[in-house]
Amino acid sequence: MVHWLPLAAFVPLVAGALTPALAHGRPGLARGWALAVTAFCIFATAALTRRVALEGPFSYAMGGWAAPWGIELRFDEFSAAALFICVIMLLVLCFSGPYVRRAVPAARITWYYSLLLVNLGGMIGFVVTADLFNLFVFMELVAVSGYALVAVGGGRTAALAAFKYLMAGAVSSALILFCIGVLYALTGSLNMADVALRLATVESRAPVLLALAGMTAGFLVKAGLFPVHVWLPDAHAIAPTPINAVSSALLVKLGIIGLLRIFPLFGAAGVVSLAPLYEALAWLGAISILAGAFFALFQQDIKLMLAYSTISNIGYIVLGLGLAGELAVTGASIHVLNHALIKAALFLAAGAMIHQSGYRTLHDLRGIGRVMPWTTLALLVGALSIVGLPPTAGFLGKWYIALGALEAGRPGFAVAVLGGALLIFIYFARMLNAFYFRAPSHEEMLAVREAPASMLGPVLLLAALCVLGGLFGRWPVLLIAPGVSRLVGGG
Amino acid sequence: MAGLWGNIDYAAFVVLFCIGLYIIIAKQNLIKKLLGLNIMETAVFAFIVTSGMVDGGTAPIVGAGATGPFASPLPHALILTGIVVAVSITALALSLIIEIYRQCGTIEADELKGAE
Repeated sequence: MVHWLPLAAFVPLVAGALTPALAHGRPGLARGWALAVTAFCIFATAALTRRVALEGPFSYAMGGWAAPWGIELRFDEFSAAALFICVIMLLVLCFSGPYVRRAVPAARITWYYSLLLVNLGGMIGFVVTADLFNLFVFMELVAVSGYALVAVGGGRTAALAAFKYLMAGAVSSALILFCIGVLYALTGSLNMADVALRLATVESRAPVLLALAGMTAGFLVKAGLFPVHVWLPDAHAIAPTPINAVSSALLVKLGIIGLLRIFPLFGAAGVVSLAPLYEALAWLGAISILAGAFFALFQQDIKLMLAYSTISNIGYIVLGLGLAGELAVTGASIHVLNHALIKAALFLAAGAMIHQSGYRTLHDLRGIGRVMPWTTLALLVGALSIVGLPPTAGFLGKWYIALGALEAGRPGFAVAVLGGALLIFIYFARMLNAFYFRAPSHEEMLAVREAPASMLGPVLLLAALCVLGGLFGRWPVLLIAPGVSRLVGGG
Repeated sequence: MAGLWGNIDYAAFVVLFCIGLYIIIAKQNLIKKLLGLNIMETAVFAFIVTSGMVDGGTAPIVGAGATGPFASPLPHALILTGIVVAVSITALALSLIIEIYRQCGTIEADELKGAE
C-alpha cells in the first residue's frame, strides 16, 4: 500500500493525542492502546524496510503535491532506523507497565503513554522526512515530549533536570531553525534534494558556511557529544528508567541522523569543502570517546555510568562520520542502530534492578547477581556488547570504525577506539565484581526477587538482540551499503 | 560594507540572537533565561519572515486585478508553525519553573546548585 509511509509517522501522533480521552476513567487502557499502536508501527515500518531493501529509496508526496513544492516524505536506507525505533519503543512500553506504577504518580500515567506515543511519531517522522522545515517540526515534537517525560516522575530535582534539558534543546533548535532560514533565503526551497541542487549555483560562500556550522553545532548538542553534553547526565539520571532507555538509545541518535541528512546538501553542492568539518568532527569524536569513558569510571550511580557511556559511544559514531571513508561511515551508521539496542538493554536491565531492589549505586547493588540472575546476565551481555567484544553487536560498528581509521591513514584514531573500549572494559569489570563477587551491602538484598515477566521479557529479548545483532550483522550492513556509498560519494 | 548596510535587518537579527544567547548563559534567574530564549526565537522568526520580502511586492492574493511582483507567503506560514512550537516550549518551561519553585523554594540557578 502506498500510504504506509505517512501512516507510520502520523498514526502514533494522532493516537498519542487521543490517549488521554480514550483512557479517561479507564487508566488501564492507556498501556494496551500504546502497545497496539506501536505494534502497528512495527508492521508498517517493517513493510517499508522490506520495500527499501528490494527496490531502493522511494518517496511519498504529501497531499498529492509533487516535490519540490509539496512536502516530500522519503524512505531511504537510513530511514530503516524507524524499524529499530519501533521495536525498542514496543519493548520499553512493555517494560513500563510495572515500572511506572511505582515511579510515576497515578494521575500522570495516562500522560506518560500519551507523550511516549507522540515521541514515537516524532522520531519516525524525523527519519523519513525529506523537507527541512518538516525536519524541524518533527524534531520539536520529539524534544517537547522528551522534556515533559524527563519531569514526569516528579520528585525534587526532576523539574530542574527537565528545565536544563529544555534550555539546551531549545537553544540548539533555534540555531537549527535559523540555519534552515539561511538555506531558505539562499535557495528559495526547503526540499532537501532541491536545496542540494540549488546550493550548487549559490555564489556567496559565507552564509553557506554559517548554515553548515550552525546546523552541525545544533545537531551535536542534540546528540550529547562532549563538550556540549552537560544536559545529558542530569536528564538521564533523574528521569524514570524506561525514559532513559528511550532518550539514550534513540533521542540522541536523532542528532546523528540529522547530520546524515544535512551533509549531502552541502557535499553535493561543492560550494564549500567539507574536509575541515570532517577533521573537526573526528577530533571531537575521539575526545568524546575518551572523556565519556573516563567520566563513566568515576560514577557510582549505575544510571549515570550508563549516561556517560552514551557520550562515549556518540563519540564513536561522530568519529566514524568524521573519518568520512566508506568503512568508517558504515561503522558509524551500524553503531547508531546497534548502540540503540545495547543501550536499551542496559538501561532496562538496570531499571529492573532498581525497581526490584530500590537501590541504584554499585555499592548498594552488591550481590544482586545471586538474587536476580537473569537480569544480571542480560546486563552483562549488554556490557560485553558495549565494550565491543565479538561476536556481539557493539563489536561490528567499532571494528568498522577502527578499520576506517587505518584506511584513512590515521592510526591515532584507531588507538582512541581501542582506548575507549579498554576504559569501558574497566567499568564492566567493576560491575561484574560488584554484582557477583562481593558480599551484599544490605541484608534485604537476599530477599530481592527476580523481575516480573513483563520486565524480564523485554530485557532478555534485547540482550538476545545484542548478540544476534553481531552474529547477523551482515544484513544491516548490506541494507545501508547503498546509502553509505551515496553519502561518501557525494561528499 | 555596502553589503552589510543593504542587509542591516539581517545584522540586527543576528545581534538580537546573540543578546538572547547571552541572557541564557549569563543570567541566573530561570525566568530571565526563558525570556532570553524567547528573544532568540523571535530573532529567528523575524529573520525568516523578512526573507520572504520582495521589493515592491504586494500581498500574494490571486484575484481580479492582481499584479506582481508578490511577496513570498511561505515564510509566514512556516513561522506560524514556529510560533506554535515556541509557545508550547514557553508554556512547558513556565510550568517546570513553577514546579522547581514548589520543590526547591528558589528559581535562581546558583542557589539551585546547592539544593541539588
